[in-house]
Amino acid sequence: MKADMEFSLVHDGRQWVVHNDTLVARGDKFETLDADLKRALLETGKFPPGARVMVFMGFDFDTIPTWLRQYHTHYFNRFVTLDL
Amino acid sequence: MLSTEDWWAVWLGLILFFAGLFTIWGTDLVGWMTKIKTWELTSLISDFSWSKLLAPSGKAYKDMHPFLSLLTTYAVFAALVCVGAYFQRLNVKRFFWGFTIIFFITWAVWIIGHEVHFKALKTTQSVMQSEIYGPDVYCTTKVNKCSVEINKALKALNVDITAGQQPDAETAAKAVDEAKHALRLSWGLQLGGGFSYMLALAVGLIIGNLFKGFARFLKEAAKPEWFIKTAIVYLGIKLGLMSMKATGFAVELALAGAAATFVAYLFFWPIVYTLSRKVFKLRRDASAVLSSGISICGVSAAIATAGAIRARPILPVAVSMLIVVFAMVELVVLPTFYSTVAPDQPIVNGAALGMTVKTDGADAAAGAILDELMVANNYRATGVLWESDWILSAAVLTKIWIDVFIGVWAFLLAVIWVYKVERSPGEEHVGASEIWFRFPKFVLGYFIAWFTYVGIAIWFPEAIKAASAGASIVQSPMRKMMFMLTFVAIGVITDFSKLKGMGRLAVLYAIALFAIVAPIAYVAAYIFHRGMMPPVVAG
Repeated sequence: MKADMEFSLVHDGRQWVVHNDTLVARGDKFETLDADLKRALLETGKFPPGARVMVFMGFDFDTIPTWLRQYHTHYFNRFVTLDL
Repeated sequence: MLSTEDWWAVWLGLILFFAGLFTIWGTDLVGWMTKIKTWELTSLISDFSWSKLLAPSGKAYKDMHPFLSLLTTYAVFAALVCVGAYFQRLNVKRFFWGFTIIFFITWAVWIIGHEVHFKALKTTQSVMQSEIYGPDVYCTTKVNKCSVEINKALKALNVDITAGQQPDAETAAKAVDEAKHALRLSWGLQLGGGFSYMLALAVGLIIGNLFKGFARFLKEAAKPEWFIKTAIVYLGIKLGLMSMKATGFAVELALAGAAATFVAYLFFWPIVYTLSRKVFKLRRDASAVLSSGISICGVSAAIATAGAIRARPILPVAVSMLIVVFAMVELVVLPTFYSTVAPDQPIVNGAALGMTVKTDGADAAAGAILDELMVANNYRATGVLWESDWILSAAVLTKIWIDVFIGVWAFLLAVIWVYKVERSPGEEHVGASEIWFRFPKFVLGYFIAWFTYVGIAIWFPEAIKAASAGASIVQSPMRKMMFMLTFVAIGVITDFSKLKGMGRLAVLYAIALFAIVAPIAYVAAYIFHRGMMPPVVAG
């Protein structure tokens, strides 16, 4: 599956955060995270309102404590279709 | 494939596995590996020599100084694990010093554990015919080898045991004196190799709980999962060698382990999940993560499940702390408990352990202790010596099936969670690739090693003897060293003070583990493994 944009996903202790070199979006649940990301994408002006954008969010496993990484190497990834 | 410890267990395992295969073509690439010898304190003090403690494993290296052999072992393993640490993006300098300290602590403990009063078993003659040979004859090598030595000495004294003749006490005493590996001791604990394992664990726990600053320094290199997964790849070689002699039993063991695991799964998870929700009133996500951690494969399952249901990362981290501490309790308690309560069910006990003890490191470590304890106990009680490592193999095989299954289980949970429980608009799909992401890769190394030796036995039977020479070194001293490293490392990372503040979760964990998982696992293991016994050592 090909994504239009790729982001790194982390949890800062309070909220889910997605970011790449140019964008940051946050939300306490995935629903609010996705809504904030839609807003951020529209603000860039790269996508017109009504556009459909496929987004990949790869969880940054480096945020898992080092001692735990030896037990498992993958958390999860998300593919989300956003209708802007 | 280069950045995870799971893959590095495969590389570390297969590099030395392939190096061991070179004995088929007459080249020994692994004989420098140090093997440890059983020694006696007064003899060592009166005339110290490294050769009383250590020796190179391969005949081609018999002239190598034992201490140089140890340094070579250190250099080779330090180099290999540091390369692995580099690709895993660990702090290589810190890892190097940590590994160096853990390595030499491990060997010091291992040497102490091989003092004859702790380790040596009595000879068969002393167990079965103490009225002739005396009750105090111990063996500093494998007891069947001592039997052969004593019987050979008796034959030289004109007593042919194979013809049914029996010596008088005086002749028996002379034969014992002649046997190279038999000696008389005023006392002996007869703990076999299990004493070294327990000592290593104790030393690790003391460091982890009483010297926390030192433990923090060592933590970069304290990687019990990496060490044990590498050891399990080497264990694949052992299973291959054992399969050469008892193919049917090895296959039966593997299939019974798979069946028992599948049946146990059907009970563990739903019961623990219901208990968490209905009795302990935990949230849905916490219940799912905890249920997987307790009932499947420990930390790995907790992280996989938390990822599958998109839980906040703090949840699997908290649950993992519980799992690591409780795995240590299981490791200390269960081998002794099973070997005491069911001394005549070695394979059932091993399989039950595999389904009960969480984390690969703790399971294989507990399996190794159980193996040593049960073999030694049975020998002391009956004079029958079971082949070692079959009980350990039963524990590891059931655990491996559980590990393999976690990918599928996490995938199913992810589908249920994403599409039903917490459906989020726009979330496309859960990729089947998640199963592969979560597949334990070290299992590949284990099966490659196992089936390669089975293949040699089937298609190149003339190469068995030459292949066994290299394989024996990788699967015995190297594997046991990785086990010893695991014991020290698992102790170093276990901090019992982390249980503070986990009241309700800790109580639930203890109830679920000891009142639900352990009994069901034992019943499943009994149903599928009853009647299975390890082969008896000939001689």
